[in-house]
Amino acid sequence: MALALDSRTPFQKLYRFDAGAPWERLRRTAAEFFESVGVPGTKNEEWRFTSLREFAEHEFAPAQPRDWDGRFGSADPIVVQDALRLVVVDGVFRPDASSPDIPAGLTVGSWSQTKDDPAWRRFGSTVQVDRHPFAALNTACFSEPILVHAAPGATIERPIHLAFVSQRSDAASAVFPRVLVVVGENAEVKILETHSGDGTYFTAPVTEVFVDQNGRLEHTKVQQDSLDAFHIGHVRATQEAGSVYASNAVSFGARLSRNDIDIWLGGEHTETWLNGAYMAFGEQLTDNHTRLDHAMPNCHSFQVYKGILGGAGAGVFNGKIYVHPDAQKTDAKQTNKALLLSPQATINTKPQLEIFADDVKCTHGATVGQLEADSLFYLRSRGIGLAEAQAILTYAFLAEVLEKISLEEVRTALERVVFRQVAKVEPMPEE
Amino acid sequence: MLKISNLHASVEDKKILKGIDLQVNAGEVHAIMGPNGSGKSTLAQVLAGRDAYEVTEGSVEFLGQDLLEMAPEERAREGLFLAFQYPVEIPGVSNAYFLRSAVNAVRKHRGEPELDAIQFGKYIREKMKLLDLDPSLLNRSVNEGFSGGEKKRNEIFHMAVMEPKLCVLDETDSGLDIDALKIVADGVNALRSPDRGILVVTHYQRLLNYIVPDFVHVLVDGRIVKSGDKNLALELEEKGYGWLEAEAAARA
Repeated sequence: MALALDSRTPFQKLYRFDAGAPWERLRRTAAEFFESVGVPGTKNEEWRFTSLREFAEHEFAPAQPRDWDGRFGSADPIVVQDALRLVVVDGVFRPDASSPDIPAGLTVGSWSQTKDDPAWRRFGSTVQVDRHPFAALNTACFSEPILVHAAPGATIERPIHLAFVSQRSDAASAVFPRVLVVVGENAEVKILETHSGDGTYFTAPVTEVFVDQNGRLEHTKVQQDSLDAFHIGHVRATQEAGSVYASNAVSFGARLSRNDIDIWLGGEHTETWLNGAYMAFGEQLTDNHTRLDHAMPNCHSFQVYKGILGGAGAGVFNGKIYVHPDAQKTDAKQTNKALLLSPQATINTKPQLEIFADDVKCTHGATVGQLEADSLFYLRSRGIGLAEAQAILTYAFLAEVLEKISLEEVRTALERVVFRQVAKVEPMPEE
Repeated sequence: MLKISNLHASVEDKKILKGIDLQVNAGEVHAIMGPNGSGKSTLAQVLAGRDAYEVTEGSVEFLGQDLLEMAPEERAREGLFLAFQYPVEIPGVSNAYFLRSAVNAVRKHRGEPELDAIQFGKYIREKMKLLDLDPSLLNRSVNEGFSGGEKKRNEIFHMAVMEPKLCVLDETDSGLDIDALKIVADGVNALRSPDRGILVVTHYQRLLNYIVPDFVHVLVDGRIVKSGDKNLALELEEKGYGWLEAEAAARA
């Protein structure tokens, strides 16, 4: 079906208009919106430090379904032995590579496998495409969404691993992973979302999350995309009263990566953890934008983002906390720390607190710096060489965030990645 | 073992050490005492290679080598150990990992094979008994959330594990109650040996009741103004530092 508007973006070929699908209208609105704004430039305040100029020079083709070689791209695969695994390769769900036995109380699978599940009714209802152009693009382009739905009261012991893989191809391809997560009342789930691949590609994943009353979700998103890839992702979570949502956002890969996490606290007494760990070396740029809407009273949020930047690596952090007039007794803590390992590395960091209630506790702190001289001397005075001492301290800096991930195999695998990366870093000359 | 000659050092152009001469032989325990600001801790830090201090004059020979030419890690590998007055907290690095890196750096330097985690675990557990330390301390981050006493014990534990040739203890007694002081002193005494030199830097005589020195030196305004045996420490306990400071001022 032809699109009834003039496309001024290079993404027109990627739009999918499957007539009769329940999201036909959503798609159309999203496509129209994306066409009206296009790829944001650095004059857009939300994209001020993240230039998409190089990205926009590429013409991305729809990913072609191909056989899967079983690899997870250039990154070491993260294997969680007892996880329920769902694999999506080049935009196509692979039931052959996915775990078959699904525990009671849980629905997982692609749209075609799960279309009778009532949770689908919430699909797309909270993603704000007008605020996030690439979420709009995802909505216009995704192929088949994935559902994770825990029924009320279900405690799902096995973690759920959603693995998105892009294989190397001759033409740069684009994929649009789309996930809907619904954690029912009093249900408890752990989700690991991994992104990895080989070669040049573009991925714009959107994960839409609902944590219902007293539900608990630990959501670990690990971005280990190819160093030639572009990753522009969005997570939109809505929490109801008494719920706990812990987001662990890890960005280690991609040429350019941008992760927008928006959380709406729609009930009282919620708890939100936003843990972020990122690395950017060489020419990498990694941008984390978070927005927490404290819309109701008595909600607590704890945010810690830490990054290490080496070579000509660049980091961007923008953490918005919006406390609405009704949200009395809000307790929000935000910390952002970056370590610069080379004179060329940069970080742009911006805490943004907008508070419209008077009885709240909001704190934020941002530090940017080098390793502490006292710590370095302490290690060296015990015989540890300068380069190794710097590597140990750099590793420890990030390990402090990775420790928050409850899945041990994930934590260990990521710690290994960090250790290997920091061991390669040229030691900073002594002052 | 250690020969300090006419050592001058300053920090940000402020002169702190103004000509120190001191010789420590293997098997000897020396105590350096002195009032606040006399340069005791500076001496300890200069020996360990802290680059905040600039050596402007003099020399230090350690086991026949020019100590001042060596990086801090080289000094440690050659057998010099500094127990810090303020041990540094390192979140995210376990005590066990830290110590294994340290021990292996020394072993590598000596041409000995490095210890794997299992070999090291066996070695380290024996050392822990010596200081009555809780084994869970091995898995905790270095000094993070430790009490003052735990930090000091941890320093002596590191010292026991690294088996240095020369131990320099910088105000190890500060902030310790009497029980912790005894444990720390026992740990140090267990390391006394005919092959090892020990230099104890302290403000108070108290520690020297437990670690009995062979020699006591009094540092005032960057110079050693008096040396003697353990009785000098007792005399200082009784009379304070005032009379030596007055003497030093009169001489200047």
